[in-house]
Amino acid sequence: MLVEVRVFSGLERFLDQKRFGEPFSVEIKEGSSLRDLLEQIGIPEDQVFTTLIDGKYRELDYILNEGERVSLFPPVGGG
Amino acid sequence: MNGFLCNRFNLIACTGRFSDIAVAMGENIEGLSFRAAADVAIDAIKVLSADVGIPSGLKELGVKERDLHVMAQNAMKDACSFTNPRTATLEDVMDIYRKALNNEGEAAAFSSTPSQKQEGENNFTENNYKCTNDNRSKKAKGASEVPKILRVNMTAKELKWEDVPEKYLALGGRALTSQMVLDEVPATCEALGGFNKLVIAPGLLSGTNAPSSGRLSVGGKSPLTGGIKEANAGGITSQKLANLGIKAMVLEGLPAGNDWYMIKINSEGAELIPANDLAGKGTYETTAICRQRYGEKVAVITIGPAGEMLMASAGVTNNDSDGNSSRYAGRGGLGAVMGSKKIKAIVVDCPKTFDAPVKDPERFKAAAKKFSKILLDHPVCGQGLPSYGTNVLMNIINEAGALPTRNFSRGRFDGANDVSGEKLAEVAKERGGKATHACHPGCIMRCSNVYPMPDGKVCAPIEYETAWCFGPNLEINDLDVVAKLNYICNDVGLDTIEAGCTLGVLAEAGVIPFGDGEAAIKALEEVEKGTSLGRIIGSGSTVAGKAFGVTRIPAVKGQGIPAYDPRSCKGNGVTYATTPMGADHTAGYAVTANILKVGGHVDPTKSEGQVELSRNLQVATAAVDATGLCLFVAFAVLDNPEGVPTIVEMINAQYGTELTPDDVVALGQQILKVEREFNKKAGFTKADDRLPEFFTTEEFEPHNTKFDIKDEELDEVFNF
Repeated sequence: MLVEVRVFSGLERFLDQKRFGEPFSVEIKEGSSLRDLLEQIGIPEDQVFTTLIDGKYRELDYILNEGERVSLFPPVGGG
Repeated sequence: MNGFLCNRFNLIACTGRFSDIAVAMGENIEGLSFRAAADVAIDAIKVLSADVGIPSGLKELGVKERDLHVMAQNAMKDACSFTNPRTATLEDVMDIYRKALNNEGEAAAFSSTPSQKQEGENNFTENNYKCTNDNRSKKAKGASEVPKILRVNMTAKELKWEDVPEKYLALGGRALTSQMVLDEVPATCEALGGFNKLVIAPGLLSGTNAPSSGRLSVGGKSPLTGGIKEANAGGITSQKLANLGIKAMVLEGLPAGNDWYMIKINSEGAELIPANDLAGKGTYETTAICRQRYGEKVAVITIGPAGEMLMASAGVTNNDSDGNSSRYAGRGGLGAVMGSKKIKAIVVDCPKTFDAPVKDPERFKAAAKKFSKILLDHPVCGQGLPSYGTNVLMNIINEAGALPTRNFSRGRFDGANDVSGEKLAEVAKERGGKATHACHPGCIMRCSNVYPMPDGKVCAPIEYETAWCFGPNLEINDLDVVAKLNYICNDVGLDTIEAGCTLGVLAEAGVIPFGDGEAAIKALEEVEKGTSLGRIIGSGSTVAGKAFGVTRIPAVKGQGIPAYDPRSCKGNGVTYATTPMGADHTAGYAVTANILKVGGHVDPTKSEGQVELSRNLQVATAAVDATGLCLFVAFAVLDNPEGVPTIVEMINAQYGTELTPDDVVALGQQILKVEREFNKKAGFTKADDRLPEFFTTEEFEPHNTKFDIKDEELDEVFNF
């Protein structure tokens, strides 16, 4: 199944020729967790601070579903 | 003879008159500042002198070095010296003669560096009003040991140094401004009248080497909300005030007439100086002129034309170390309060930054070092903020579906990435700007940035809330347009958030189209001209909405709602509704636990836990705002149990107090009680602690949520 992934704020350095915020599809096995996805695309787990699935905060053991929007962030803040 | 040398010396005292001379001599000074026009005048005098054969140097007259002393003494006795626009000491006259003798050129006769003597010399112009307190006017050394309050009465044109009353000694920043406003300002007064006061105070730790402690509080009754206001700014002023031993300055009364004034403060004292030559100028030019006159290191607090025209969303600004007048105490219209008192600028000259008195320096140093480590070790303070600045939030707030788009119509904007912090960093670096920059010396988070614009000017910084209000809020996806709108606000002296909310309301009304950057720029340019539309824009979102029949006005207590929608970041919704400040994201920044995974996690789309979250954050924020620490230390402090005790340790080491972390909570609660008491006296009730109706009736995409926290729950926020 496919999920739609976006990486931000410097995480793009772990990917080949991807820009921050640029959506890309990733084929994953049924039952894959967010942690599995990170391993598959090659972003070290300790570099990811906030993970949003369809705009909601989820832990790394969250099991992904078809078509979900995955947004990955390092530590960010402001205000 | 040597007229131009004397002219150069006198320039500072009567710049405007020199431009008159330039005109009289047939020079074209169109478009020049007074200062530049004065230079033209002096050059013209030089040419005229040469034309009519006046000797250009004393050597040509056979004067020797040994003659200078007698000549200077005679000059001092000359009747003309009494009417000279700038009083000269014997040394000054000697200096001018020496330059003339050696043909060194006039540039050396007057230097604007503080080391030259211009600081204390303005006391001769009879229109200047000097602070006469002897304790104060001699040396800062004694004064800074015993902090003072500087009171400037604009009705009487009187400056006074007062001892700090016992009850104010342990207060600083917001704690002090709010307490003084409650104590001294009648809550029902006209915000732009003679009974309102503008109180400016550095935080408790400002001016020491506590990291990131240079925040400045500006307080008064807000002409925008009608309630109490504390607006908080970075920049270099707070540290300088603290190093001059100034606990607070109070601007009060109203002057008769239409003349403008500025206040100059240094270790010698303070004085009120006529400033009609600065009136009508933008903040960038005003700051540049003041730095030119008084030295590049001075801090300049100023207002723009919006403040002069008493617009209800005018801000008070001050500069960063580079001289950019972009560090705003922006919200709530305090720029109009300063304008009502006819104060165009306050120049603070103090060479020290980190030398405010500390009772136990060793203990303080250890605590400050520990606090630095706490900040640097935290992922947001140590890595996130220093990499991309606050606008790194654009993408995460968009992904979270909480980015108010098209005047709060939905929670995601397709063009968000185009105006994001990542994009900003990319463009800034490409154009030779900076992706990271400190707003004041000693800040280790360095969340500011320097964005070079296509026209060659620089906007520094572009903060997230500004990028949001001029970007997604107007459906504009062009960072150059955002920067331009930001720059206009900085220059004319408007709060960016209020201006962006107001333009959103105007777009809703069809006055400008959504997504049209040029139309937005054109509308905002009306402010400086003072046209009817410009004045409506400067009056803020609520007035603009009423003027154009818009019911979807995103504001609480008359103040525009910032960059996080209350329907999908409900903790912030509670803060917007209840803070005494009017809608203010910083007053209880629930985005932390709602979205940023700092200080725990509370689901932003649910109502559970939001009241408690907002309450705790509002209390903590009020306390942080009293210390002069940047609110962003809260990211680390919320996650590290050592954070609050270390702040308390720094305060105890500095003041010899024995506070505990519980006292910090009590201080935060006390500040909120004081502010709510003022608002109650001003006529505010529970009905003012509510969000606009449309947030409770319109579903918000993508989470399809409404603001559903009950009124009774909102009324429990301040149950302490």
